Amino acid sequence: MEGEDDSAGPMIDEIYANGGDDTNHKRPIISGEQLDIEAYAGLYVGRTKIMRLLFISDHCGNPAMQVEALRMAYDEIKKSENTQLFREVVQKIDGRLGPKYGVDNAWCEMVDRRADQRKEKLENELNAYRTNLIKESIRMGYNDFGEFYYSHGALGDAFKSFVRTRDYCTTSKHIVQMCTSAILVSIEMGQFTHVTSYVSKAEQTPEALDPVTAAKLRCAAGLSHLEAKKYKLAARKFLEVGPELGTSYNDVIAAQDVATYGGLCALASFDRMELKSKVIDNISFRNFLELVPEVRELINDFYSSHYASCLDYLGNLKANLLLDIHLHDHVETLYDLIRNKALIQYTHPFVSVDLCMMANAFKTSVSRLEKELEALITDNQIQARIDSHNKILYARHADQRNATFQRVLQTGNEFDRDVRSMLLRANLIKHDYNSKSSRKL
Amino acid sequence: MNAVEALVAQIQGLSGSVADLSHLHNLLKQADDSLLNESTRLLPFLDQLDPSKHSLGYLFILRACSSGPISKEQAGELVLIFSRFISSCAAEQIRLAPEKFISVCKRFKDQVMLLEAPLRGVGPMLTAVRKLQSSSEHLTALHPDFLQLALLAKCYKTGLSVLEDDIFEVDQPRDLFLYCYYGGMICIGQKCYKKALELLHNAVTAPMSTVNAIAVEAYKKYVLISLILNGQFSSSLPKYSSSVAQRNLKNLCQPYIELATSYSSGKISELETFVQTNEEKFESDNNLGLVKQVVSSMYKRNIQRLTQTYLTLSLQDIANTVQLNSSKEAEIHVLQMIQDGEIYATINQKDGMVRFLEDPEQYKTCEMIEHIDSSIQRIMVLSNKLTAMDEHMSCDPLYLAKAGRERQRYDFDDFDTVPQRFNI
Amino acid sequence: MDFSRLQEALASKSYAKVATICDGLMLQVAAEGVAFQDEWPYAIHLLGHIYADDINSARFLWKSIPSAIKEAQQEVVAAWRIGQRLWTRDYAGVYEAIHGFSWNPEVQGLVAAFAVLYTKRMFQLLLSAYSTISIQDTALFLGMNEDDTMNYVVQQGWTLDPSSGMLTVKKQAVVSEQKLDPSKLQRLTEYVFLLEH
Repeated sequence: MEGEDDSAGPMIDEIYANGGDDTNHKRPIISGEQLDIEAYAGLYVGRTKIMRLLFISDHCGNPAMQVEALRMAYDEIKKSENTQLFREVVQKIDGRLGPKYGVDNAWCEMVDRRADQRKEKLENELNAYRTNLIKESIRMGYNDFGEFYYSHGALGDAFKSFVRTRDYCTTSKHIVQMCTSAILVSIEMGQFTHVTSYVSKAEQTPEALDPVTAAKLRCAAGLSHLEAKKYKLAARKFLEVGPELGTSYNDVIAAQDVATYGGLCALASFDRMELKSKVIDNISFRNFLELVPEVRELINDFYSSHYASCLDYLGNLKANLLLDIHLHDHVETLYDLIRNKALIQYTHPFVSVDLCMMANAFKTSVSRLEKELEALITDNQIQARIDSHNKILYARHADQRNATFQRVLQTGNEFDRDVRSMLLRANLIKHDYNSKSSRKL
Repeated sequence: MNAVEALVAQIQGLSGSVADLSHLHNLLKQADDSLLNESTRLLPFLDQLDPSKHSLGYLFILRACSSGPISKEQAGELVLIFSRFISSCAAEQIRLAPEKFISVCKRFKDQVMLLEAPLRGVGPMLTAVRKLQSSSEHLTALHPDFLQLALLAKCYKTGLSVLEDDIFEVDQPRDLFLYCYYGGMICIGQKCYKKALELLHNAVTAPMSTVNAIAVEAYKKYVLISLILNGQFSSSLPKYSSSVAQRNLKNLCQPYIELATSYSSGKISELETFVQTNEEKFESDNNLGLVKQVVSSMYKRNIQRLTQTYLTLSLQDIANTVQLNSSKEAEIHVLQMIQDGEIYATINQKDGMVRFLEDPEQYKTCEMIEHIDSSIQRIMVLSNKLTAMDEHMSCDPLYLAKAGRERQRYDFDDFDTVPQRFNI
Repeated sequence: MDFSRLQEALASKSYAKVATICDGLMLQVAAEGVAFQDEWPYAIHLLGHIYADDINSARFLWKSIPSAIKEAQQEVVAAWRIGQRLWTRDYAGVYEAIHGFSWNPEVQGLVAAFAVLYTKRMFQLLLSAYSTISIQDTALFLGMNEDDTMNYVVQQGWTLDPSSGMLTVKKQAVVSEQKLDPSKLQRLTEYVFLLEH
């Protein structure tokens, strides 16, 4: 792992160093325009970089982009020790990148041979530690094994090894290390229930966590809530991520992602008050939002009721968000939630709303807007009725008194019906039982 | 023959007081076998008796007379004797021998059917039910026969008269199934869907240890009426229904469950296609008419849904939304729904618009207060009945013995819960 | 067969009772085994149900009529034609069915009374269902020519928009008793008392 970090290190430096003057990187990476894969990939290191590239190649539907993503994935894997993944990528490239990107058997064999040697060495070491019963060394031994497996793509074994270090942890720091390793592997495996449980284990350690670790854990928790479609909880976690995160967690998530995930989830699930206090007025989160100006703008637009502009930004972002490994499953849902929220928020303060004006504000036609409102009214999310003749939406104030009378009568009728049929059944059972017992006698 | 003559004399003499009648009843029981042996020669003796005064004796002899095989020619004459006896007999006398009376009435029904004249049986059978009933809560063995005759003779309205009573006491479970099924059909014919649903519900959820054909047929209609009346159907039966019903009915009525699923999509064209492909199945169950009503109820349901969302809507938009061919068709649908009190709306022909209104009921009129008051009264009576039954049950030695012996297997609370606590 | 009660009802124009009287009588004579069908006043019986707005019963009665009688008695068929139009909600067709047959004298009164009643029902329906309606449609619903229709509805306060030929419906205020009987208040007090103790 450390070796990997080293090799990836210079690349990141490069991007950030160039960030200021290189025109290529001036524009934000996640924007309305077609994804700049190189810049995007530059945000990440390690396995997630490869997996994200492969995800893009699987989902973009654009041959040029696909090949480009595969090429970068190939290069990246070459720096790692995962021959299995290497072979898969080569198969996907399928010769489209020329002989330079073919099966490098020599490399594979070398890596595999070295892996065997390393494994043997680790085994011997671990056995020695175990016979000597030195707790710390055993922990280190398992940890090394975990990292070894992880770098070779054996995620299940890596997870087991990291978890095994638990019995040999002597300090809170060790526990936290064990948890973060387990979380890393679990995220790669897509096992988000593990993520949740190891986050809470880490947070329960008696000693205060350093700010970077705390930020990492919030990111991990946010991801697992996102995966579970608990958008409100996810938003809260992402919003709590401290600025200390920086690039420290880029083997999992980039600071840009924190802004995007947190911003969209908050928009989809927060009410106005919460949006203002926890997002817009949140100084530390503002730093994240600066990295993705579109998201910052669209949140501000939403809050200041510039829905057309907000929806424009969302529309532009959509294609690229769909290429995000964690967000793609949730884009449609989040977008629907945000749009519905905007519609609801728009109508909320009014007694009557001119549908033509509203349609303008939402960049849609009156008839389509009617359908959208119809769905929201049916769902009882908007208490209003549409005057389709004059194209006006009227707020509807339920008459509590009448509604109560109606409900009382209905409940009475149901009670009446249920009791009668119950008495009947009871009598039947009694009869049945009596006749059975009289037959027996 | 002398024995019969003697018996007739005894009948004439002992039909006055309660004590005499009970003595007579014993004598008749003893003579029953010999009466059956003489059955073919008994008919003339009936002339010596007055059915309204000597009802008990008349009943025994009539029962014996009709015990043998009866030809169609004889039936014509006998049916008249039966129906006159039923209409004139004294209720308190015949209730001394209910089995005999039931058996006579069933014979009567058989003869009427043999003559293919169900109408002849409707009036007398209704009288028979009323005379046999100890109270209006009592379901007699004759209820199903009466309802069946009413159905066959197409006297639905007359049939409806016994269905208005709340039934609690049942002699035979089978009677209940038939009562609910025939009753359901009569209510359907008269378009009393609420009552029909209640009856069918009782048939479907009644305790049963094996699946019976009546319950299956009732379940099919139950699905259809639920859709027509409520626009939805939950395929899981309430948990108090027998496990047999819960496990099997759904599987035995697959097309109906699929119909309900298709209905829930709200798409008329989908539903129509489904009905067309399954038309034969529904036809063979004699349910095609109801299925067609299910289809047309979907238009209504979709229009009703619009009233929740729209204050005004053009007839053309209604036609488009609920898939009607023209705005004129939409107007007719809306008009019919207004006529039936299913929506509150006014049509504006000039602009081609409909304005949907709120329910005008303000719950302020005397009539409404009267209605609410009667509901409260009704529920109080029912609630008292429930308490009484609960007390009665918890003192019932049979129940206590069973509950004590098999507490785990047979806890009364398990299969029947009181809908909610209600202290009045 | 004793039709005196029926005749009485017809003579006193108590048409609402006709169906019930016929139903009862029919069960009675059938139980006595009388072959009543040929002499049965089916047309009156059908019209009785129709008058009482019980189309279901009319329909079942029609179904139970022997086909020989349906063939022989045109009046029975004519009576059912009215029921049929009602069943299919052919609002205007009902009037055609009423006027399309020369009824026997003993039936005439009943048919005429039904026609009046039906016009009233239709007027109530228009009143509750329309805010504006064309004069042609109103005429169809009420079974009158356009001039008579105009006279009829103008009397009820409707107004005509001459340019569009549309009538504006004047809603009638519904008067309902809102005074409360003191005994009800007493009852209510008792309920509250019961619920609280």
